[in-house]
Amino acid sequence: MSSDPRFLSIVRATVGQIGMVYGLTEDSCQGVTLAIDEAVANVIRHAYRNRHDREVELNCQADTDHLEFTLFDSGEPADPARICAQPLDEASLSGRGTHLIKATMDEVHYEKVPTGNQLRLIKHLPAAKVSVDGGSSAR
Amino acid sequence: MEKQMRASTRIEQGTTVVDVVGQIDLGNSPALRKTLLESLKGTDRLAINLIAVQYIDSSGIASLLEVLKEARQSKKRLVLFGLTGAVGQVLQLTRLTGVFEIRENEEQALAA
Repeated sequence: MSSDPRFLSIVRATVGQIGMVYGLTEDSCQGVTLAIDEAVANVIRHAYRNRHDREVELNCQADTDHLEFTLFDSGEPADPARICAQPLDEASLSGRGTHLIKATMDEVHYEKVPTGNQLRLIKHLPAAKVSVDGGSSAR
Repeated sequence: MEKQMRASTRIEQGTTVVDVVGQIDLGNSPALRKTLLESLKGTDRLAINLIAVQYIDSSGIASLLEVLKEARQSKKRLVLFGLTGAVGQVLQLTRLTGVFEIRENEEQALAA
C-alpha cells in the first residue's frame, strides 16, 4: 500500500478481522489492531517523514500458536534510542505509539534488512481457539 | 462502522459541545485538533462527545491533550464524555484516564 493515512482504516479492518478469525478476545483484537495501526502510522510519520507516495508492505503469518505481522518500509530506520523513550505523562504530546505497540503485542522486533526496515509484531493466540481449518497462512 | 471522522458543534446550557463521529487516526487528527481548538476559543466550557467514536490512535490522544493544555492555560473547562470501550482502552494504556475530566454522559458533563 502507499504510505497514505487513508489506508489506515483498511489496515484496521483487515487486522481486526484476522484477529477475530484466529480467536483473539475483543480486547486483544482491539489491541492488535491499535498496534498495527500505530506501527504503520509511525512508518508514515517517521520513516517517510509524512510523504504519502512511498510503499509500505504489511504481511500476516498465522501459526498454530501466534500471529506474526511484519511491516516493511524503505525509509529512515527507527532510532532505537527513541523507541519508548518518552515518558507516559501528560506533558508529552507525542511518542505514545511505541508504548501502545509494546503494551498490546507479546513480541516487538525492530530489524534492519537489506531492502530497508522490518518490524515484526507477534501476538500469542489463545490455545485451541483457532476457528478456521486448513492452511494457516494469511499472507 | 463510520470510517471517516466528522465533528460538529452545538451549544447546550452555556457549554459548547463537540460531537465527534467515526474513527480518529493520523489522517484526520489534525483536522479534529483544529476544530477543537477553534471551538475552545469561543467558550469557557467545552465538552467533547466521544460516544460515536469507534477508534482513536495516539495522534488523536495527542490532539485531545493539546486542547486540554490550551484549556488549562486559558483557565477554561474541558470535559470528555461518552467514552466507548476502544477509546477508554487507549486512554488506559497511555495512562491518561486521570488526566482528563471524564463524565459518563452528556447530562453529567453539562452538570460538571
